[in-house]
Amino acid sequence: MNYTSLFGYLLGEVVLTAAAFVILIADVMCHRKDDVGARNQRMAWWTLTGLFLAAVVYAIQFAQGNANFADGTLVINPLNLFFKEVILVITAITVFFSMEEPVSKHVGEYYAMILFAAIGMAFLVTSENLLMIFVSIELLSLSLYALVGFQKQILRSAEGAMKYFAFGAVSAAFLLFGLSYIYGATNSLSLPAIAETFKGDPLMARSPVLLIGILFTLVGFGFKIAVVPFHLWAPDAYEGAAAPVAGFVASGSKVASFVALTKFLLLGVAPAAGAATISFPFTPHFTPGWAPVIALMAFISMVWGNLAAITQTNLKRLLAYSSVAHAGYILVALFGAKAWGQTAIYFYIIVYALTNLGAFGVVTALANKVGGDDIRCFAGVWRRAPGLTVLMMIFMLSLAGIPPLAGFFGKFYLFAAGLAADQMQLGYLWLVITAILMSAVSFYYYLQVLRVFYVNPASRGGPISICPCQRWPMTVIALIIFLIGWYPTALLDWIQGFLQRV
Amino acid sequence: MNLLFYIFSGLMLLCAALVVANRHPVTSAMLLILVFFFMAGLFVLLEAFFLAVIQVLVYAGAVMVLFLFVMMLLDIRSSQIRRQNAPAMLAGLSVGFAFWVEFWLILRHSALPVGAPMNFDAGIRPIGKLLFSEFVLPFEITSLLLLAALVGVVLLSQKETR
Repeated sequence: MNYTSLFGYLLGEVVLTAAAFVILIADVMCHRKDDVGARNQRMAWWTLTGLFLAAVVYAIQFAQGNANFADGTLVINPLNLFFKEVILVITAITVFFSMEEPVSKHVGEYYAMILFAAIGMAFLVTSENLLMIFVSIELLSLSLYALVGFQKQILRSAEGAMKYFAFGAVSAAFLLFGLSYIYGATNSLSLPAIAETFKGDPLMARSPVLLIGILFTLVGFGFKIAVVPFHLWAPDAYEGAAAPVAGFVASGSKVASFVALTKFLLLGVAPAAGAATISFPFTPHFTPGWAPVIALMAFISMVWGNLAAITQTNLKRLLAYSSVAHAGYILVALFGAKAWGQTAIYFYIIVYALTNLGAFGVVTALANKVGGDDIRCFAGVWRRAPGLTVLMMIFMLSLAGIPPLAGFFGKFYLFAAGLAADQMQLGYLWLVITAILMSAVSFYYYLQVLRVFYVNPASRGGPISICPCQRWPMTVIALIIFLIGWYPTALLDWIQGFLQRV
Repeated sequence: MNLLFYIFSGLMLLCAALVVANRHPVTSAMLLILVFFFMAGLFVLLEAFFLAVIQVLVYAGAVMVLFLFVMMLLDIRSSQIRRQNAPAMLAGLSVGFAFWVEFWLILRHSALPVGAPMNFDAGIRPIGKLLFSEFVLPFEITSLLLLAALVGVVLLSQKETR
């Protein structure tokens, strides 16, 4: 046990924590009397400084070798560091989005909570230990509950936060129960050690205690990634939260949770997958394990998420249901061969998070100026903010998966991984076909949004000015989506390279 | 030993069910204290005396006092005491029943790894050592988690003046 080297490995998170403390104290001590807007900007810059310093620390750690501390509680390798950088970028963009207008007058607390959530995400992507996964999920969730409820003068915000919290508390109980059963069955907390126990004991994969544990754990993860039976909080929380916070919940929290879930399933309990294949001619083959559960959740999520999104009249709720559907698509790739499936998921989750963040950025920039976040409020925005609507078009088309954009290749890799599952026997073809059909359905509501933006006549008002703090991050996101769309292999090679150096 | 286990866990389950079924919040809180006491009894059976003491001190003592404080501050009138919602109760019971059947089916067909010898020392010293060596990271992050919860609670419970 060497605490000095541990501190070195933790330096990035330590910087983030220090930044949160500085913000909390500086806001109370020095800026209490200032105007809220000025305070908001100053605190935002403090946050960005902290995020930048942490990003530098992580960049330096890339050059150092891999490290594994205390049973996987802290695993430093290029892949994890890369995801930490992604999370810092997402957090920074969220901070930029909230710069123009303070979400509430409690500015310091707002940015400190964002940093706490970022720390939770950073720990979540970097740990391969059940206990650590639980603690960081809790840190992340608690910060997000508070963030969703920040607009205290709005009733919907309190309602969203309350629902989010109630669902979160119950699913945390399920998660902890499941993790303790897995610990009971395998007698180890670290994911590689759990995978080891399968080698010594062939009956382990069918152990009922382990399977119950995995099932309960999936309930907890299902809440975090908002797949169908556990998605009910998402539309209300997204609608109630301030738009930048909703974007943060929909992107950062999703990235971290998906990385942790992928590691848990493919690194830890992969041999307990079981099967849920249907091969031609119609012969279903089910073996108990996590695969039937995941397949079922993916199937219902894709169908229900896309169908429910069609009927939404509020843009944030529509994005919530679309994120439910996207969570379903991502789960399809979990059945792929280990390396291929992992690459596809990591690729898509990054693309998806950035695109979604951009879409919520558009909502942030426009909602107050067009008088609400109902879809009809955005009628004819094309004439009032042409640049922004072009960005919105890129985000929507990428979410829908139109070829030259990154979203298309993301979906392509996901579904290809799904097809390659089951030793190329096409056993999960039924899931892939559902996914393709449902993404065709999703075109309808994404294009419907664009129709309102472009075709419907504007009710009133002149040009809308967009704060540079929102315009530039969104433009950068759109550029990244475009570039990844043109050179998808660049990101793909990166991820594969990182995976090889794990 | 075995008999004590069944007594403690049986009473604990009974009290836990009463916590949910009872309609008066203060009575529920008192029953929850009993649940914690029986839980502490289970820890004693496992020879984890330190955990048992902590369970009583922290949960039955500190946490429940806070619960009661909150209830006092909320000032729940008897007219506002929740009514039983029949459809919700039915849904909850059916889900619970489904889980129970599932557990029963699974456990009936398999041998649980029971009776594994207890080969750890759950005294203060080993727990402290573990907390500051192997589990130092989750331990420290928990403190961050508590801080985040604290800030969030103060913020959300504060009355907003215009």
